[in-house]
Amino acid sequence: MPGEALTQTSVLPAAVFLLPVLAGVVLISATRASRVLQQWISVLTMVTVTGLGAWMARQILRGFVLTTWNQELRVDALSALMVVIIGGIGLLASIYSLRYIEERTGKNLVASRTHTFYGLLMWFLGTMLWGCVTNNVIMLYVAIEATTLTSGLLVAFYWDRRALEAGYKYLMLLTIGITFALFGCVLLYAGAAATNKLDGASALLISDIRRVTQFIPGGTAAVTIAFLIIGFGTKAGIAPFHPWLPDAHAEAPAPISVLLSGVMIKMSLYALARTVSPFYPAWPQVTIFIVALGTFTMLLGIILALTQNDLKRLLAYSSVSQMGYVLAGVGLGTYLGCYGGLYHLVNHALAKSLLFMCVGAVMYATGARRISELGGLKHQMPITSACYFLGALALAGFPPLNGFWSKLTIYLALARAGLWWAAGIAILASILTAVVMVRAGYRVFWGNGPSVDAPSPSFKEVPAGMFVPMMILAAICVLLGVYPQAPYPLLHRAAAVLATLGR
Amino acid sequence: MNPEALHSGLIETLSLTLVITSVAAVEMRRLKFSIAAYLCQALLIVGLLLSFASVNKALYWWAATALLTKVILTPWFLFRAIRGVDDHELKPVIGFGPSVVIVALLMISFFRLTHGRFALLAPSGMAQLGVFRTNLAVASTVFALGLYAVLTRRDAVKAVIGLCLLENGVHLSLVSLAPGLSETALFGVASEVVVTVFLLLYVIGGVRQVFGSTDTFRLRELRF
Repeated sequence: MPGEALTQTSVLPAAVFLLPVLAGVVLISATRASRVLQQWISVLTMVTVTGLGAWMARQILRGFVLTTWNQELRVDALSALMVVIIGGIGLLASIYSLRYIEERTGKNLVASRTHTFYGLLMWFLGTMLWGCVTNNVIMLYVAIEATTLTSGLLVAFYWDRRALEAGYKYLMLLTIGITFALFGCVLLYAGAAATNKLDGASALLISDIRRVTQFIPGGTAAVTIAFLIIGFGTKAGIAPFHPWLPDAHAEAPAPISVLLSGVMIKMSLYALARTVSPFYPAWPQVTIFIVALGTFTMLLGIILALTQNDLKRLLAYSSVSQMGYVLAGVGLGTYLGCYGGLYHLVNHALAKSLLFMCVGAVMYATGARRISELGGLKHQMPITSACYFLGALALAGFPPLNGFWSKLTIYLALARAGLWWAAGIAILASILTAVVMVRAGYRVFWGNGPSVDAPSPSFKEVPAGMFVPMMILAAICVLLGVYPQAPYPLLHRAAAVLATLGR
Repeated sequence: MNPEALHSGLIETLSLTLVITSVAAVEMRRLKFSIAAYLCQALLIVGLLLSFASVNKALYWWAATALLTKVILTPWFLFRAIRGVDDHELKPVIGFGPSVVIVALLMISFFRLTHGRFALLAPSGMAQLGVFRTNLAVASTVFALGLYAVLTRRDAVKAVIGLCLLENGVHLSLVSLAPGLSETALFGVASEVVVTVFLLLYVIGGVRQVFGSTDTFRLRELRF
């Protein structure tokens, strides 16, 4: 385990989330700026944010914890890991959106709404980053609710029947769910303050609350944990609180689906892990409940994905399933479980972002997203086809791709904890994932189209602005599979933050 | 009656009146009356916060924030959303008679449960004082009534009113559970509700435009 980190005051935690928020203000106000300028402001902002994230990670690896504003903002290895993921995926989604959003929204609509799209995109990314760097338990809730508010209009962006329905459900269900989290956060604060071991202000700081959770009375702890799981679990897409997820992830524009599935749900799981893991040493039975919830989620998600004909809904349900793996890993509370869970969080962010980009590319090229309406695209879209299969196999945990190592770590962690039933369910869900993902890919890229007799329409591969981000993600999936120790230094420190039950 | 007892009595009266306004907001079938009931509740919350502020000075700031967000902005957005349209609520899932019975049962059970088991929710010494105990019981009752409205009302605007009640319940609990909350956190929590209501009503405006109604039962395009 890493030694005690040195605290260093730094402007980086503030800069990393204020920059996209300010860029969002500029973009929303710049109604007369050209579309190209709006797009490049967003891309350059995300390049800077990713650079700041990498810089913070470097500082963390040198043994520092970065704080500012009287510890209101605090970046340790876990926060740095999340910032790097959000920054990296956010940057690739911004690049991908340059061509996608123009084609999908039509020229007239684009002229009037791109500034709204990019402004909200920056705010969405900024609020996610804020949630990862805040150390104040109430502001953690505020930041997570802010991610819902900034992304709500992005989900409903197309403003048609389906998008409006998805947008309404998204805003309503997530606000109700997250209100439970507010109750949980308030109880956590009240419980910590009542121990009389912290003064008023420090009882709000997550880093200080961690030290006193074992003194919170049992009944209060149980109610707090329940509210936190319902609240943050709803936003993380954990079953049975997941019904909003397939609608929102499927109806949002593809670059937003990339962010919703790729990073937003992880950010909520991060909040859940941050607030619940300190209770494990005093209440180890909670870990069994969370692992059970995780295995239920992974199985239900993939069973629902099996029956889907809509590619985006299929991916959305598969996200539910994969979040079950992350939850089961970090829910164990052991170092190995947390390492596997966080590693899978990274790998799922990469693979699912890649898959949503591939499906977005198919929609861009063909205008269709139902599996039954597609077929034989492998010759017309070879890059998209190759990227899809790489992402699908990575998600299913095929060696030597990245998903294999994280899933193997989770299986081993579950077995080591004596939870063989959970390991068995996790392996079964992985096999089902392989079936679902490969079958869908086979039918879309290799299978026959809806009508064999009709002449095949001439679709072509998407522009470089769209396939380059896909290729970058696919390359990272392969690289992390061949060289799985690459993220070890940061993951090791991040897992040590969450691991409250030893190795 | 001594001033302290009078003060406690005032707080308890305001708290219990809050429950009545919640019932009115849920059960009124005209949306404008329902919003008016919500507005009354918001005013009562401001009054309650000012009463508690004699014990905890930080609540003056909280009261000012509530005045702006709950009394002025939220009702204004809600009234704007029903301007120029028929303000009769769409027929809810549960009829008036059974609904009143359910609401009464919810009120009694949540109030008694929280009042009886307050130590579970309020581990601090201050929160276990009589007035804070009543406040917490009322907060949980308002929360339950809001959740009931959201789950059983098919009119989207009424569901938003239910959501506002739900949020009011949580915010009321902060008085007892988190008296030392910083101004920034209080402002963040309060302003988020206003933005949520604004965005939801904006999307509901789109729903009305595209679907021709605010009936959530017609939002079935994405059913599994």
